[in-house]
This record gives sequence, C-alpha cells and structure tokens, in this order.
Amino acid sequence: MRKHIGWVAGAAAAVLVAAGAVTYAVAEDDGSGAARTPAADSADAGFARDMAVHHQQAVEMSYIVRDRTKNEEVRRLAYDIAQTQANQRGMLLGWLDLWELPKVSAKPPMSWMGMGDMPERGDGSLMPGMATDTEMRKLGTLNGKQAEIFYLQLMTDHHKGGIHMAEGCVAKCTVGVEKRLAQGMVDAQQSEIQLMAGMLKERGAKARS
Amino acid sequence: MASGNKTSNAARKARIEEMRRAEQARERRNRILVIAGSVVAVAALVAGGVFVVKSQDGKKDDTASDSKSSGDSGHWSTGKDGVRTWTGKLSRTHVEGTVKYPMHPPVGGNHNPVWLNCNGNVYTKPVKDENAVHAEEHGAAWVTYTDKASKSDVAALAAKVRQTPYSMMSPYADQSAPIELSAWGHQLSVQSAKDPRVAKFFETYVQGAQTPEPGASCTGGTM
Repeated sequence: MRKHIGWVAGAAAAVLVAAGAVTYAVAEDDGSGAARTPAADSADAGFARDMAVHHQQAVEMSYIVRDRTKNEEVRRLAYDIAQTQANQRGMLLGWLDLWELPKVSAKPPMSWMGMGDMPERGDGSLMPGMATDTEMRKLGTLNGKQAEIFYLQLMTDHHKGGIHMAEGCVAKCTVGVEKRLAQGMVDAQQSEIQLMAGMLKERGAKARS
Repeated sequence: MASGNKTSNAARKARIEEMRRAEQARERRNRILVIAGSVVAVAALVAGGVFVVKSQDGKKDDTASDSKSSGDSGHWSTGKDGVRTWTGKLSRTHVEGTVKYPMHPPVGGNHNPVWLNCNGNVYTKPVKDENAVHAEEHGAAWVTYTDKASKSDVAALAAKVRQTPYSMMSPYADQSAPIELSAWGHQLSVQSAKDPRVAKFFETYVQGAQTPEPGASCTGGTM
C-alpha cells in the first residue's frame, strides 16, 4: 500500500515538473518570439512586401503567355513559374500577416535595400526587372512564337531583377526561413535564366540585355 | 310508266344520295379547315405569347436589376480616427445586373462575378459598383473623388495608387466628401490628399485584416 502511494506521488511530481518545463518553454518562446518579430522597415518585412509585388507580375505574365501559345515547353515553364511564384507570394504575405505588419509602405520600394532613391522606370514597372504596363499589354496581343520570345525576354529581365532583390534578403534578412526562401529564389531563377537562354536561342532570339 | 317511275325514283334517290354525300364531304372538308385553322391560330397565339413573355423576361433582367438587393444590413459606426466601420452584415453572393447598396461608394455586399482590376489601376471614368465591390472583397482599397476634389489632390492620389498594387481609383459623383477611401467594411472621408490618415488607411486596409478573400487576384478581372 505504501509502495503504491509512493508511485502515485512520483507520477504526480513528474507531471508537475513536465508542466513546469512546458510552461517555462512556452514563456521563453513567447518572450523571444516577440523580440524576433521584424519591424515594418526591416529587410525581412521589406523583402516580404516588395517580392510579393514583384512575384505577382511574373504570375500574371505567365498566365498571359499560356493564352497566347500552344507550345508545350513554354506553357510548362509558364505553369511552373506561375505556380511557384504564387505560392511563394502567399508565404511572404502570410508572414506579414503573422507579424501584423502592413502590406504597403509609404517609403519607395526597396528602401530596405538602400535602393529607395533608384530611378523609376514608371508605367507600372515599380521595381528593377518588372515589365511596363505597355509591355504587358503587348504580350497579350502577340501569338505563337512571337509571344514565346517576348515572354522569355520579359521573364529573363524579371528574374534578373528578382535575383538581385533576393540577394538583398540573403544578405540582410534575419528570419531564417525567409533567408532560405530568398536563397532558393536566387538558385532557381538563375537556373531558369539558363533554361530560357537556350529556349530563346532555339527560337533564333536572345535576351534583351 | 311504273318502270319509268321506278327508274326516275331510283335516279332521284341516287341523286339525293349523291347530294348528301357531297354535302357530307363539304362538311368534312369545312370541319378539317376549321380544325386546321384553329390549330394554326392556337399555335400562333402560343408562339406569340412565348415570344412576348420571353422578351419581357429580357427586359425584366435589365430593369429588375435596379431592385436587386445587396444583402447588406447594418449601419456605420465612426471611430476616433474618422474611419467608418460597417456594423452588421455584408453579403458576398455573386449576382448579375445592378445592385442597390446601402452606402456610397459601397464597401461590401453582393457583387458581380467579375472583379475590377485593382493592380494600381487609375480609372478616369466611373466604374461599376458591382465590380469594385468584388475588388474590395479581394483586399483592394478604392479611392474615389468628386469634381470638388482639387486637380493636384487627384494627381497625388493617382500617383500613390499607381504605386500600390491592391488599390484602385475612379471618379464617383454620389458621395458626400470630395475624396473617399473605401475598403471592405471600412470608409474614410477626407478633404485633401495631404491628410495623414490617407497613408494610414492604405497601410491598414490594402490587403488588410478586413479582406474576406486574402490571396485573391487584382489582375485578370475586368478587361
């Protein structure tokens, strides 16, 4: 009987210790979690805001070209880019939601990279690599091979601008998962630029710059 | 004579018989004509009736849209910062035609299946409420102005909207202030583009927490 009570007391003590440990861990997490939430003008928040906008145009561009050509290779690339960048955009916006930060800033795009004063191309091209509204409209009027070439050229420029911005986050971001996503963008888009260079060559064309 | 009579009797009978047959044939023919005529007349009436009903149906689609409900109920409550918040229900059903909204510009309610492109689009002509409400559902802020707004304010706001995906701008006659900022469930009246609450409104409501459908698109809607 006494032995039995001992077991019960032991188990109760173990439960109390475990509960205390969990409480301590949660409290600890809460404290450091609050400290880890990036500020609105941080690289983490800035990259999440700006890359979400940058990605959106790549998604739109890819949808357009899929309506303008029947070429399987270009349609597959466009599908891949649209799916990938739409999902990544969702992650970026989701983090801003979690951090309870605005999706827009009164400061110019890429201020977090020290590029707030860069000359603006205008006409809907808000950041480096982005196409103008005029170029987007033109893509929507081309057909077949013409549309494929123009898409590959626009997307090559878009990726170059995107890689540059993602490198900014790799250098300045402090949130691990975001830094990793940015590095992943750099790697994937560099390899896609190679792929698109080959596709342009097959079509007797090349990148614009 | 008797035989003659008989003959003439028989002949008369035959003639009568023949006349009766002719009469019956004529009656049968008339009956067929009457029935056929009636059938044609009834068919024409039915077809005409269907046509009239159908064409009235078409008209009804256009005019009944006036009375189509937004499905909204509730009222505004105004915060310390002047932002009005719709307290009550904002419906979200896709409907065709014109919707009657309880507030102007509308900040929610039943709307057209096609969203207004809100990728920083600056419209210089009025847009349809029903498309704009759908854009608000996607998280867009909507800047509207009357002819009382100054030209420099309109230009400044247009520049801001052009740089802000998930916002849009259009002239709007039926509103109380010269400049209104609207988002799903929220609205702010300002007299000038320089009002600091404009930037705050954008920060809070462009793809803000009020968005009923986060992640939905501001491109690929109205052409």
